Amino acid sequence: MDKVYVLGGAQTDFERNWTKEGKNVIALLSEVIQDALDEIHVSYADIRKLNSENRVACFVGNFIAENYINQGHLGALLTEVSPAFYGVPSARYEAACASSSVALDAAITKIKTGDYDLAMVVGWELMKTVDSKVCGDILGRAAYYEKEGKDVSFPFPKLFGKLAGETIKKYRLDETRYMNSLAKISEINYENAKRNPKAQTRKWFMDYEQACHRDTETNSLIGERLSISDCSQVTDGAAVVFLASEKLVKEIGLDVTDIPIVKGYGHRTAPMLFDSKITESAENEYILPWTRQAVLDAYRRSNLSVEDIDVFETHDCFTSSEYVAISSFGITKPGHEYEAIENGRIAFYGDKPINPSGGLIGCGHPVGASGCRMFLDIFKQVSGKAGNYQVLLDETRLPRNGMMLNIGGTATTNYVFIVGRD
Amino acid sequence: MQKIDKVTVIGANGTMGQNIAAIFASFGNAEVYLVSRTKQKSILSKNKAYHSVRAESIVNKMIPVDFDELEECVNKSELIFEACKEDWDVKIDIHTKISDVLRKADKNDARKYICSGTSGLSITKLAELYPEKKRSNIVGMHFFNPPYNMTLCELVPTEYTDRSSFESLKEYATTILRRTVVEVKDSPAFLGNRIGFQFINEALQYAEKYKFNGGIDYIDAILGPFTGRAMSPLVTANFVGLDVHKAIVDNLYENTSDCAHDTFVLPEFVNGLVKSGKLGRKTKEGLYRTIIHDSGFKIRQVYDIEHGEYRETIKYIFPFVEEMIGDLKVGNYGKAFDVLTKNRSIEAEICCEFLLKYIVYSLVATELVGYDIHAADDVMATGFNWCPPLALLEAFGGVESFLGLCRERLRKNMIDQIDWNHLSRRIEKSNYDYRRFLRAKK
Repeated sequence: MDKVYVLGGAQTDFERNWTKEGKNVIALLSEVIQDALDEIHVSYADIRKLNSENRVACFVGNFIAENYINQGHLGALLTEVSPAFYGVPSARYEAACASSSVALDAAITKIKTGDYDLAMVVGWELMKTVDSKVCGDILGRAAYYEKEGKDVSFPFPKLFGKLAGETIKKYRLDETRYMNSLAKISEINYENAKRNPKAQTRKWFMDYEQACHRDTETNSLIGERLSISDCSQVTDGAAVVFLASEKLVKEIGLDVTDIPIVKGYGHRTAPMLFDSKITESAENEYILPWTRQAVLDAYRRSNLSVEDIDVFETHDCFTSSEYVAISSFGITKPGHEYEAIENGRIAFYGDKPINPSGGLIGCGHPVGASGCRMFLDIFKQVSGKAGNYQVLLDETRLPRNGMMLNIGGTATTNYVFIVGRD
Repeated sequence: MQKIDKVTVIGANGTMGQNIAAIFASFGNAEVYLVSRTKQKSILSKNKAYHSVRAESIVNKMIPVDFDELEECVNKSELIFEACKEDWDVKIDIHTKISDVLRKADKNDARKYICSGTSGLSITKLAELYPEKKRSNIVGMHFFNPPYNMTLCELVPTEYTDRSSFESLKEYATTILRRTVVEVKDSPAFLGNRIGFQFINEALQYAEKYKFNGGIDYIDAILGPFTGRAMSPLVTANFVGLDVHKAIVDNLYENTSDCAHDTFVLPEFVNGLVKSGKLGRKTKEGLYRTIIHDSGFKIRQVYDIEHGEYRETIKYIFPFVEEMIGDLKVGNYGKAFDVLTKNRSIEAEICCEFLLKYIVYSLVATELVGYDIHAADDVMATGFNWCPPLALLEAFGGVESFLGLCRERLRKNMIDQIDWNHLSRRIEKSNYDYRRFLRAKK
C-alpha cells in the first residue's frame, strides 16, 4: 500500500460566532478551504486540472447540520463554494463527534489504494444557531437518544459526569484528589489555548482555583460532579486537511522526506449505551477498553509505542474523558492517571504534552470539525508549523510523532491517528 | 519583570474601576485594594466585580476599603491605579493624596507604579503633581470598556518616565494581564479614541448635513455592521454617552491641529441634547430612545434633527447595502467591496468615503500619536472591535486600489493635506483578518 502524505491545511478562528456575523455555511467553507489551499500553495485551477483526470476527491465530516442549520447532502454542498468542485467525488461522513475522523479514514484509504492523488478532508459544525439548551439536546443524538438523551437536560455532561463517578469507583480513587486532577486538566487546556491564536478561549480567564470552585454561580454544576469548567465549548468552526500520494508530492516539487505521513490508525466501536460500556468493562483493567484498543491498534500498525510519541491531541469533551485518555495512550497505568497530571508530564513543557492547542476545552469543539482540527494540530507539531504553541523536545528538536484520539458519543466511536516524520 | 502582587484601585466603585480591579485580581493574581469614598461602595464593588471576568475565585483577593486606609494601601502596593471621574479637580485631589503618601514613605517606592486610567487628560500634568524624583513611574494606563472583552491597553509614558521600569510594566500588562499593549504619546485622547471619535463625530456632522434624508438613523444605516463594526457609529455614541463624546471631541478640537481638525467640531444639535440632559442610553434618551408601550411592545425612536423631536426609526433599504450583505453572507468579500466601490448612489458614496477617510486618518494619527503603523490596527480591533484600518485596506483590494479610490473619492482639501508618497510607503500587511469584522448585517 502507498504512503499517505499530509500536506497541511487550515482551521477557522474558533472564537468566531458565524451567526452573529450573519454568515452561513458557504462563507465558513469558502474561507477555510481558501486558507487551506493558500497554506499548501494549491489553487482552484489545480483542483480543476486534477479533477479532469479524476485524481482528487473530497471527504466531509459533520455530525448534525440537519438540526443546526437544516442542511443535509453536505458532500455535494461544496459545489456552492466553488465551481472547481463540480464533478469532484465528494460525500459526507458521520460518527457524532468523531465525524471528521471517519472522513479522514476514508480519504486515507483512497490515497493508500491509489484511487486518488489528492484528498481534501473538511470537518465543520455550526452550533451557535441555537441556544445552549437546544444545542445540548441536539448533541444528545450522539448517545442512544431514546434511552439516554430524550427529556434529559444536557445529557452529555451528565453521561461524562457518570464516567467521573465510575472512574473514582473502579480505581478506588480519593475523590478530592481526582477532582483536583480534573481541575488541573481544565487549567492546562485553558492555559495552552492562550498560546493558540485560533483558540476560542484565548482571552478568557480560568485558573486552577476557579476550576476547583465548582457548584458556584460562575462555575455551576452541570453533570453530577462536573462543572462548567470541566466542559468543552459550544463552537462554530471548520478545519481542512489535505492528504496526498507520493506521486503528487513529487509532482508539486516537494521532497517526500520533508513531508509528514500517516503512520497508523485505530478505529473501534464500543457499546452504544454508557451503562453497557461500564458493565462490559467491569473485569477489564481499563474503564474504556475499546478506547485503549484503538490506541493499541494504532501503535501496532505504525510499529511504534508510547515512547515514540512526543505530542498528543485528545478528545477532552470533558475533563473526565481526558483523564481516561492518559492511560489509554499508555502514559500511565490505568488508575494512576493523576500522577501524570500532578507531576506536570502532560502540561505544555512536560515530556508527554497533551493538547498544546488547548484541546476541546480551550481551543473549542465544533463537533464535526474536531477530528480534523486535532489531525491538523499534530501535523503542525511534527512539521514545526505550530507557531506560538509549538512543542519542542529539549527546547530545540521538533516532535517526531504525534498521536490524536477523537471520540464520538460516550467514547463509543474511538478513532486514533499517528502522524509523523519518517 | 517587576513582581506585582498588590494593587490599589482608586475609584473602584465606578464601572471601569471595578472591572479593571477584576483584571488585576484574575489575570494578575494580585491582591487588590478597592478604594472608594465609602467602604460600603467598595463592598458593593467587590461583590459585583467578579461577574466581569466570570470567576468567583477572585472575590477573596479583593479588599474593600475607603480613603482612610489609602495610605496603608498605597504603601503596601506595587501598583496604584487611579480610575476616578474625568474631572481635572478630582484628579488633582486624588493624585495629591497619593503624592503625600509617597513623600512620607521614601523608601522602597522607586518601582511603585502610579497609573491613571484617564481617557484623555495629560499624563505629564498629572506627573507634575508629584515631586520631581517620584515622577519616573507615573504612567497612563488606558483600558477600554468592557476590559474583559476589549483587551486594548494604551500605555502612556511621559518625558519623566524611567524607560526600564516602563518596559517592565509593558511586559507585565502584556504577558500577565494579557492585554494588547500599545505605547502611545501623551497626546489628547491618545490613539484609539482619536481615531474612533473622529469617525463618530464626522458621522454626527453628516447626520446634520443629511438631516432631510433622515439624519441620525440614515447615517447609521449607511455605516452599519456590514462596514466592519458590531454597532453603528451613532448607536455607539448613544451607548458611550453624548457628554463623554463631547468631552473627547472638544478636547481634540482645542488641542490638536491635524488634517481632520474640522471634523472634531461638535454639531450644534448634539450640544443641545447634552444641555437638555439627553445623554444617551444612561439617561434613557439621546440620539435614540426606546419607548415601551403599555402592552410591553417596544418602539425604537430616533432624534429628528430638523424637528427637534423623536420619531420612529426608519428601516432604510439601500440597494448597495442589500447587495453587500448578500455577498458577505456567503463569504464573498471581494464582490461585496466591488459593489461598494462601483455603486454610485449617494449612500454608497458616503459609505465608501467614510471608510477611506477612516483608513487615511488612522495612518496619519498613528504617526502623530503612536510609534508603529500596526498600532492603529491594534487600537481599533481590540479597543473598538472595528475592522482595523490596514485590514480594511486589504478588503479594498490592497494599496494600489486604495490609493486610486482615495484620489477619486476624497475631497481636494483633504487630498492636498496628505503626503501620499510618505503614507503609502508606511503601509504594511495587517496582522488582522478583515473577514471576521465585516458582518453580513445591517
